[in-house]
Amino acid sequence: MKEKKIQIKEGITLHYIPTNKFKNNMLAVFLTTPLDRKTVTWNSLLTAVLRRGTKTMPSQEKISENLEKMYGASFDCGVEKTGDNQVLKFYMESLNNEFLPEKENLLQESIDILLEVVWNPYLENGAFSREYVEGEKHTIKQLIKGKIDDKAKYAVERTTELMYPNKPYGLYKFGYLEDLESITPENLYTHYQKLLQECKIDIFASGDIDKEELVSMLMQNEQIQKLQDRKPNFICHADASELEIPKTPNKVTESMNVSQGKLILGMYVDSKKPDDKYVALLYNAILGGNANSKLFQNVREKASLAYTASSSYIRPKNIIFIKCGIEIENEAKTLDIIEKQLQDIKKGEFSEEEIEICKKQIISAIKGIPEGQDTEIIYYYGQEIAGENVSLEEYIQKVNAVTKQDIIALAQMINVHTVYFLKD
Amino acid sequence: MQVIENLKVKEKVYIETLENGLTVLIIPKKETEKKFIIWGTNFGSIDSKFIAPGENEITTVPDGVAHFLEHKLFEQKNGTNSLDTLTAIGVDANAYTTTDHTAYLYECNDKFYEALDEFMDYVQNPYFTKENVEKEKGIIGQEIRMYDDHPGWQVYINAMQCLYQNNPVRIDIAGSIESISNIDKDILYKSYNTFYHPSNMCLVVCGNFEAEAILEEIKKRLLPKEIIGEIQRIYPEEPEKVANKECKKQMEVSTPIFVIGIKDKVSKENMVKKHIAIEVLLNMIIGKSSKLYQTLYKQGLLLEEPDMQYEWSKEYAHITISAQSKDPKKVYQGIADTIQEYKKHGLELEHFDRIKRKIYGDYVKEFDDVADIARMFLADWMKGVNSFSYLEQYNAVTKSYAEEILKEVFLEDKTILSVVEPNSSSKEEK
Repeated sequence: MKEKKIQIKEGITLHYIPTNKFKNNMLAVFLTTPLDRKTVTWNSLLTAVLRRGTKTMPSQEKISENLEKMYGASFDCGVEKTGDNQVLKFYMESLNNEFLPEKENLLQESIDILLEVVWNPYLENGAFSREYVEGEKHTIKQLIKGKIDDKAKYAVERTTELMYPNKPYGLYKFGYLEDLESITPENLYTHYQKLLQECKIDIFASGDIDKEELVSMLMQNEQIQKLQDRKPNFICHADASELEIPKTPNKVTESMNVSQGKLILGMYVDSKKPDDKYVALLYNAILGGNANSKLFQNVREKASLAYTASSSYIRPKNIIFIKCGIEIENEAKTLDIIEKQLQDIKKGEFSEEEIEICKKQIISAIKGIPEGQDTEIIYYYGQEIAGENVSLEEYIQKVNAVTKQDIIALAQMINVHTVYFLKD
Repeated sequence: MQVIENLKVKEKVYIETLENGLTVLIIPKKETEKKFIIWGTNFGSIDSKFIAPGENEITTVPDGVAHFLEHKLFEQKNGTNSLDTLTAIGVDANAYTTTDHTAYLYECNDKFYEALDEFMDYVQNPYFTKENVEKEKGIIGQEIRMYDDHPGWQVYINAMQCLYQNNPVRIDIAGSIESISNIDKDILYKSYNTFYHPSNMCLVVCGNFEAEAILEEIKKRLLPKEIIGEIQRIYPEEPEKVANKECKKQMEVSTPIFVIGIKDKVSKENMVKKHIAIEVLLNMIIGKSSKLYQTLYKQGLLLEEPDMQYEWSKEYAHITISAQSKDPKKVYQGIADTIQEYKKHGLELEHFDRIKRKIYGDYVKEFDDVADIARMFLADWMKGVNSFSYLEQYNAVTKSYAEEILKEVFLEDKTILSVVEPNSSSKEEK
């Protein structure tokens, strides 16, 4: 493995990813905690409050001024959903010292700022600042309401909710409006302290960085020194909650002011064999993963029904979404074509050549992972959360090993769970 | 080959103009496995009126032709589609159309030369039929519909319609369902033969290449073409005045989104230097560390730093500031007041220097990804600029120059506000 893992404390891992492809060094801290209806809004608000200020940089203005002086270093944070976990992500990016006009050490400064934002927030009377908490409640409120703004994403989000009612994966990553009211600067701070003691902590460093230097900078950092060992509380993908399977697919139609209909089919892969995930990847590619795929060719190119006609595989949950943007009156016609494609794959009506094309495409994407700092971090994080340790080379071998028989066999275990249509 | 090196980012560009007029730019990147190629023609959505070389009469084509042609160029005489063929080879291929150019591209780790055969073949060999043109109208129709539901695009195109009275930058790149219905194969051939001549095109490669070797490979695959005369492009006269100060549209969004636009003149002056100064100014006015941003953020009027752009071509130039806000008018007013204040009291040197440092980092970062680098060199070539110029001109941008630009460009009567706002009663309207 190119990535080297260094355990800082129990439950706290440094992932060192050396690369000389970039002008920047990228650092990240990911705090992983189970998605829970009770805390989802709290965590999303917490992330927003933390970026408002630290003990030594008490306002966003101060943080921004420092970043600007560091030749436009950038700090960013947010929450994501990975499997049944909510992940609080904090990123810091700054130029590698080699590209600075004058000699400076931005790496040290970057580490200090990033860790300070997470572990040394600006406090008033032993709690978060009231102004920041109230201000960020407003921000989160807008983010939650903003769910409807991108109709294509919204349709996928709604399908997910409908597939996982009362389950962690059905939760919206930014949380819920009704939860915001009861959060105070004091109870949010208590929540923060508890989270920091229990969550899984992963620190990533990608760039042309010397390992010894990095480790020593981290170990000498007072925020790191304060951290305690922990049995991290998070959900490994294998232990994630199950989907409840309906006897016949759910059919849900909703209305909004749209000019194009958004048709989403949520499907599940009814297999728990770990290697079937590689088969599912190929199944998805053949179905709707590229320009040669069944959906692109039949819904778009042959029937001229859509501009977007694709599918994507959500590996941690073992589900697939089919997504099409169509004229509203063409719903039935499109569903027929989609159904035919699903049946065709079940019957093995696809060629070895199609498989080869899909393998090449997937392998090319795997080879592309080290070409982006964030994609590489996300890959190793995904491995970490899945409790796996698959190198990119092994990943390619696993994809190459998939046969037509494997795909046909798995296709029998892939079924539609929910058909969602957003229309006017 | 001409070589230009930039010591700040430690990169080089090799430039060659071939006999048939094609410009080739090569940016070698030794550290990466990825290879990227992009071939662009200086033909975009604004080029709908022209006199083809050797002709006397003006040709007018329907709106959306450049984009339509981009979709259709993949079609091959033997019934295959080059997008499928390239995908089958294992490379990631795509194409896009902007206001001033159309580009075809692919990226890969392996199989670069195998894909190059197909790539250079399809761009040089159009095949349009009545049937394949008709079929595409349904697909592009859905692409247009998709953008109809996209509040960010709607608010932007409305801003263009406020800024410009006549310039076709105000028209949607894809045209409209009505305008594309008038496109046929003859129009596509006419446009292709006019604009897809090597002398109107630029090919950029970036990745792990030897410059001489890749240039030979490109030359081998080029079809011979006679030198032709100049294309005369005809653009309507654009007054300095904006078309409308304000525009509102209602859509199903949670919070209003807005674009503030400032119309600028296209000039012969040093546009790169001006561009850098405008980026510094925008950051000083409403960037993350500015007083105005902090105030608006605290009042809940901005949720994040607005997107700020200076967009310009040979035919137009304007600034856009875009974001989401519950009260876009207040943001507009805050920006107008800050501009006034800066004009009156001048810029603060410490602030100016700090933002300049930030901008320096932003420019260096643009030299990371091979795809971003090649796209940037192509887009800049269309404007007659070498992308290294931004780093070269950087030091020439002084505080007093920025103050001059502030007074010259940031004018109240050239500023417009486009808003897309929520419409809770959208259902009842029907």
